[in-house]
Amino acid sequence: MENGHSRKQGRKLNKKVKKAQHIVEKQTGITCTNNVTKNLVICNCGLVNGLSEDIIYHHFSAYGPLEKIIMITGESCAFVSFKTADTAELAYRNINGKLNLAQDDKPLLLSFVDRLPENSNCTNDLPSGLTVIDNFVTEEEEELLLSLVCFDEQENSSTLKHRQVVHYGYEFRYDNNNVDKDKPLLHGIPKECNFLWDRLQKLGYTDNFRPDQLTVNKYQPGQGIPPHIDTHSAFDDPILSLSLSSSIVMEFRHENGSHVPIFLKQRSLLIMSDESRYNWTHGITPRKTDIVSLESGLKVVQRCTRVSFTFRKLLKGECQCRFTKKCDTYLKNCADELVNHSASQLEKIHVHEIYENIADHFSDTRHKPWPNVVDFINSFDVGSVLMDAGCGNGKYLNCHKNVFKVGFDSSASLINLCQEKGLNVITCNCLYIPFRDESVDGVISIAVIHHLANSERRLRAIRELVRVSRINGNILIYVWAKDQCKDQQKSSYLKQDRRNRKKDDLPQEDKIQNVTVKESNITLPIHINRTQFQHQDVLVPWKLKDSNIDDKSKSEKLFLRFYHVFDEGELEDLCKKLDNIEIVKTYYDQGNWCILLKKLKS
Amino acid sequence: MKLITHNMLTSKCMKGVTVGYPLKIQAVDVKTTEVDFNPEFISRLIPKVDWNVLCSAAESIGYLEDLPKEVTENYENNVDFLKKAHRVLLEIDIINGELICPETGRKFPINNGIPNMLLNEDEV
Repeated sequence: MENGHSRKQGRKLNKKVKKAQHIVEKQTGITCTNNVTKNLVICNCGLVNGLSEDIIYHHFSAYGPLEKIIMITGESCAFVSFKTADTAELAYRNINGKLNLAQDDKPLLLSFVDRLPENSNCTNDLPSGLTVIDNFVTEEEEELLLSLVCFDEQENSSTLKHRQVVHYGYEFRYDNNNVDKDKPLLHGIPKECNFLWDRLQKLGYTDNFRPDQLTVNKYQPGQGIPPHIDTHSAFDDPILSLSLSSSIVMEFRHENGSHVPIFLKQRSLLIMSDESRYNWTHGITPRKTDIVSLESGLKVVQRCTRVSFTFRKLLKGECQCRFTKKCDTYLKNCADELVNHSASQLEKIHVHEIYENIADHFSDTRHKPWPNVVDFINSFDVGSVLMDAGCGNGKYLNCHKNVFKVGFDSSASLINLCQEKGLNVITCNCLYIPFRDESVDGVISIAVIHHLANSERRLRAIRELVRVSRINGNILIYVWAKDQCKDQQKSSYLKQDRRNRKKDDLPQEDKIQNVTVKESNITLPIHINRTQFQHQDVLVPWKLKDSNIDDKSKSEKLFLRFYHVFDEGELEDLCKKLDNIEIVKTYYDQGNWCILLKKLKS
Repeated sequence: MKLITHNMLTSKCMKGVTVGYPLKIQAVDVKTTEVDFNPEFISRLIPKVDWNVLCSAAESIGYLEDLPKEVTENYENNVDFLKKAHRVLLEIDIINGELICPETGRKFPINNGIPNMLLNEDEV
């Protein structure tokens, strides 16, 4: 090979090249060859050394049109493919060992290669759901749209680190990557944009799509936007982006490593739908030029100031996409599920199983119905249907003979006691009441909802009570109050203290024991019976005398029931979250917060 | 479980079930017990009942007897009709058997007169 150097220098260079070729072969599996081909490899410089497509293009395209430049992530080599072998050879002769672009201003070392690396990650296949429509708007329309936005004066404009933005319809917040759906901006999307939706529909791309949020971005050459996926729960599918004033390359990336650079020409419209909207990131690399692959080969495109109109439609409700790994709605629901799972474990161990164990003893202590509840039941007409949601031993199912009463409880033992008394009962959970909508005239839920371990479940239970009630039906709910000494009056619960505590009602904090419920990964304080509550979520002890006759020691068994005792107003606030009820009255009755609801609509 | 209770029960709380009504009855033991007859009570109850469901439920367990398949006009004053309704709604008790979700086939056991409609965590 004659390259014009002195023999000695030539030998020296050849030696270096050979060494570098060897490294390339090891790194990429591509065989270097001494035969002239149209493909060259730069053996000693690549992305890791700061070499870029631009620089390669700049120096190599001087010898002929290029077909492809392939940079390898994390490697110090790069591949350049010419249209013809002749031009590749010309570049080889002029650059190899002469162009000082490698590290420490060393010359580039080149070699011919038999093939290019299979660049499987970087393809020209569009991500699924992505559409680009070139020349979507005319030059006149482009001008009109650009004239709508004034970045400096508009109230909703701000300068981000890398670009200027203006919002219409709703402000996109960059702190949480979401919008305040309840806070529309003064200015909606300018009506001058309306022709776009008609055009889209006419072309058959969308079906009656009407965005309600617009973000206008202004990118100076050299500015970009980091790769991102638009928050799933914020916006519906699709997302539209109109490129004005300048063309640009937008990079789409998939977590499997796929990378698709897409050339967005000036006045083109990008439609991101389905997977391209939910599962691929998109971003713009901050640089001043783009290298684009055209029919005629690679071409460098200088960036100008680009203005993009991104049109989006706020999502109502939760994201239903199937790309769960990237879906904030799905991930949030998973977290809630976990909390709910812990709550349900806590209820299982510290409510349901305990009632199974103490049912007989519990029932013996629950004879007297509370007068205000009885009054409520007696207010129903003959032939009404009344449900007791959480009926326990059924003490309210005996009142008012001329009302059909049906009760349920999750404790099979308590329900068996009801059945023995000839009451109409079923076993079920108050979170999932197996009754039809609007099937009963009234509902009572006495001392039940305080056994549910989080507010979402307590609300769900109330929602269920309302659901099964007919319109205009009444629902009476009693829950245990945290305050057992309202208006200086001790509740009967406190008064029953045999030691007759007079002043010192408050147990000292250091006497309170805590118990860790492994299954729920939660630690709860054990309440001291017949005292004021110190916490809202507590375990309340139930002492069960062991009636085993053989056992002379007559031991006492301790059961800890979970309670959430309610603050003043808490039950009311929970009920106010329902929009189909009216709060008839709320009151305090013997240590309980009570609420009477009327169902207004389905 | 009385048939009036069955008239209100559904499995719609289950995941994937949309209506879950009416539940099919597979009766093993059925008992009849006498309940005091109150014509006013029964005639006020009747409009709240899905009559077709009541009839097919009674028929499916062989206790339709001579209950008319449709609610008679002026039933309020028809003691004979009210008595028949009273019997089917309140006096027939399913002691053992199963309730079956019409959509998923999930069986809810009835033991000792009590339907067990508790659902597992993965069913909701």
